[in-house]
Amino acid sequence: MMTLIRRELLDNLMTFRFAAATFITLLLVVANTFVLIIDYERRLASHNDAVKMHQRQLQEKITYSAGEVRVDRPPNPLSIFNVGFDKRLGNEIEVSHKLVPSLWDAGMHGSDNPFMDMFASMDIVFIFEVILSLFALIFAYNAFAGEYESGTLRLVLTHPIGRGKILVAKYLSAMLCLIVPLLMSLLLSIILLTTSTSISLNSDDFLRIGGIILTSVAYLSVFYLIGLLISAATRRTSTALMLSMFVWGFLVLVYPNVILTVIPRPESPDALRTSAFNRIENIWETFDRERKHYLATDDFPGEDWGYELRGWGWRSEGFRDYPRILLYTYRSVMDFEGFGEKDEPKMPHAQKHFGFLGAQTIDAADRTWLIRKPALEEIFIQPANMERVWLKLSPVGVYDAATQAWAGTDLLGIRDFFHAARQYRQSLTNFFYDHKVFESRQWFSGDKGAADWSGLPQFAFQRDDINTNAKRALPDVFLLLMLNVVLFIVIFLIFVKSEV
Amino acid sequence: MWHITKREIYDNLNSLRFALTTVLLLALMVTNAVKHLREHPKRVQRYQDAVTESLSHLTDRANDSLYTLAQYGPGNFYKKPSPLHFCANGGEPLLPDAVEVDEPPVFMTDAEGNRLLEGIWSLSYPDANLHNKDVGPKVSQVDWAFIIGSILSLIALWFTFDAFSGEREHGTLRLMLANSIPRHTVLIGKFLGALLSISIPFALAVLVNLLLISTASTVHLTTEAWGRLGIIFAIALLYTSLFVALGLLVSARVQQSAVSLMILLLTWVTLVVFMPSTLASIASSFSPAVSFDEFWQQRNPIEEDLWDKYKEGLWSSELDNRKLRAKSEFYTENAEREERRQEEQLKYRTSQVHRARAITGISPATLLQHLIEGFAGTGFERHLQFAENTQRYTRQLREFVADTDRADPESLHILAVPEGMSKKPISPDAVPRFEDTLNLSKDFNTAAMELLLLTLFVLVLLSGAYLAFVRVEV
Repeated sequence: MMTLIRRELLDNLMTFRFAAATFITLLLVVANTFVLIIDYERRLASHNDAVKMHQRQLQEKITYSAGEVRVDRPPNPLSIFNVGFDKRLGNEIEVSHKLVPSLWDAGMHGSDNPFMDMFASMDIVFIFEVILSLFALIFAYNAFAGEYESGTLRLVLTHPIGRGKILVAKYLSAMLCLIVPLLMSLLLSIILLTTSTSISLNSDDFLRIGGIILTSVAYLSVFYLIGLLISAATRRTSTALMLSMFVWGFLVLVYPNVILTVIPRPESPDALRTSAFNRIENIWETFDRERKHYLATDDFPGEDWGYELRGWGWRSEGFRDYPRILLYTYRSVMDFEGFGEKDEPKMPHAQKHFGFLGAQTIDAADRTWLIRKPALEEIFIQPANMERVWLKLSPVGVYDAATQAWAGTDLLGIRDFFHAARQYRQSLTNFFYDHKVFESRQWFSGDKGAADWSGLPQFAFQRDDINTNAKRALPDVFLLLMLNVVLFIVIFLIFVKSEV
Repeated sequence: MWHITKREIYDNLNSLRFALTTVLLLALMVTNAVKHLREHPKRVQRYQDAVTESLSHLTDRANDSLYTLAQYGPGNFYKKPSPLHFCANGGEPLLPDAVEVDEPPVFMTDAEGNRLLEGIWSLSYPDANLHNKDVGPKVSQVDWAFIIGSILSLIALWFTFDAFSGEREHGTLRLMLANSIPRHTVLIGKFLGALLSISIPFALAVLVNLLLISTASTVHLTTEAWGRLGIIFAIALLYTSLFVALGLLVSARVQQSAVSLMILLLTWVTLVVFMPSTLASIASSFSPAVSFDEFWQQRNPIEEDLWDKYKEGLWSSELDNRKLRAKSEFYTENAEREERRQEEQLKYRTSQVHRARAITGISPATLLQHLIEGFAGTGFERHLQFAENTQRYTRQLREFVADTDRADPESLHILAVPEGMSKKPISPDAVPRFEDTLNLSKDFNTAAMELLLLTLFVLVLLSGAYLAFVRVEV
């Protein structure tokens, strides 16, 4: 057994293809790591700028109602391995009592030049996707076919060795050879990552990278086994080579690109959207009625929501809706620096009204979210997940999904941020209630002391720990492993039954 | 030579790869056609609805008065969808399909919300920002550019990797060269043979594709579109011959066909898959663009500067007209500056994209992408053409407003202010209409350089193959 492995190993190591595979993989991975690190650093700088700017903008506001608390999603350093949704989905969002924030309400900062998105971007997993699968097939195509042709297989089989052992020896030795370029290139890119000052990887991140390596090996093995299968089935090197290339082109190039245009895109559930939006609209209409009712029946004559306050500053109010993403909000801002003398008696009325309004807005926003959350799930997430399942029919899709999950750049990883933003909104509204911010004079006027932003709870977003990543990645890794086992059994059966 | 070519073609016609190629190309082209037939009518409908709406704005404003037209401008401008969208998608979803006419800014209101100072419209170039709401996986387009750029080039290598090395392995190369045929004839014969045997399934697939598209009643192709399709087909052949030449070059130099295929595949992966994206990222990291927030910050000082100027004019109480003139100047200047700022941003972004495109042009796959985009009337250059069209029309419309105002004897001829302009309604038919046009000769000019580069690539590779083959020992 060991002799067999040694023989195979030497056979593979001394070839041109091994040298070429190692060289090309190293070159591509290192060159791209450089570019990706620069890109990550730029995104990080733009994130830091945004955080600073949002803080400054907030501090400048003298009233609570005019202040906009914005939180920013930091770029994920592991996006260098698989960028996933990290660059694509929104990375800043306003957290306020008016709206329960979701992924669809987020904006983009630092997307400097949207035209540049036209150029495809690349990550390390993509390089592996294309190149490792190619190498695996090139290593495999003549494993059996070549030996059939040169007659050495017959020679080997005259020895008292089981066919299973030959198969295992071939598999192990080739995999050992194939793992060398993978590990070497990853090692180099990790060294590059650690030398960069702006990227700090913690122990969890290294475990995640370990997960990516594990998945890469499983992916590599799938393609090697596909090559072996073709080689064992065709028995001729030229046919095996031809077929392998065709299969590679189909699985890596054609299928992932074409399948989503071939399957009919699920019709957007308009009925669902309309009904959900109508229910949301109802909530806000009720809210509007109650608001007007309050203004009409309170102690102060007149129905002006600003209590006819005249001063230096501005005010605005209004509803905003965007049915496509089921967005509906109400916003009233009153930002005054001071008032005339005769307005002073109106103040308690206004304060009481804003207290009422704040509580009502929070309540309506919370109730909206109860409708909005499942509806958004059904309108956007489910069709997208369906498409992802289609992509997973090719090992490339499974590999991509699994590495995204490890890196935390998959949809779930990005949604974690918005989950944190929602929790932050909760603590923010609690703070507003506890400190009676809505009823305070600072809500709309800065004349008796400006709004105090320093006491606000701080937002902190930590990526989930490795367990969560593993939980999300393991189904796909398992899928790849299963595929390996199935392919191996099929090859074994073919090889055992074949006549030499 | 024809003999060799014929032999090659016969050889290929009976092979497994020919059958697989035909099936694959047919499947892809049919997918492409079906998708186009499904989506293009919707696209055209959307465009027409938008144009009708925008035209109704124009009509309403013209019917109201010349001043309203001067203040609110025409409706938004929309990019006409190209009938050849199936040839190249051109990153169209990432490009905005409209140039917007901004509402006149309101500079001052009284307590009741009445507008005291309101300016005039200006052009603005919005971003297509649908992208960050899309939670689905990235959908790539199965357009001709993809089929030719990635699939056909791979097929070309697949057909040629064993052209010489395979024959050398079998010993037939020696046999052939024993005849009194010069080597360059053999090479050209092989080249033509491979090119033709790839062209057969490709032409067949294209034919089926065009048959499906042209017979459908929903899509109409003009003669010009057919001309463009012809050019695109020719470019596809040129591009394919590049990879055929590359295949012959490597195949002549390398002893074993397996090694030859491997080298070719690695070259292909580098040229077609990796180079376009890596080079683009490198290019974009050279020049960080102005971010959105910075862009908005630039705006304020300019506005303050204008206010000061305006106030100077406002306080001079010599004549009533002087005040109006100051107002008019303030409004026009404001709109102009706003427009200039927007235009500068567009220019800056454009130059960045151009740089990236120039650098990625080293890869023939990118060249092909640009060429097909150019002739299909989609993509970035087309977007710029559209923006230019809107700018030209804007100038035309402003001249028209000034001329019409001059013709009205009751007007004070102070533009952009309600008191100084003609208040008469004008016939909407007299107002010039915006028309988004595509110009073939202009496309040729922009494409000439890239076409030349692609031809150069082919020539270099062909002569390389010739040199390699002449020197090779059999």
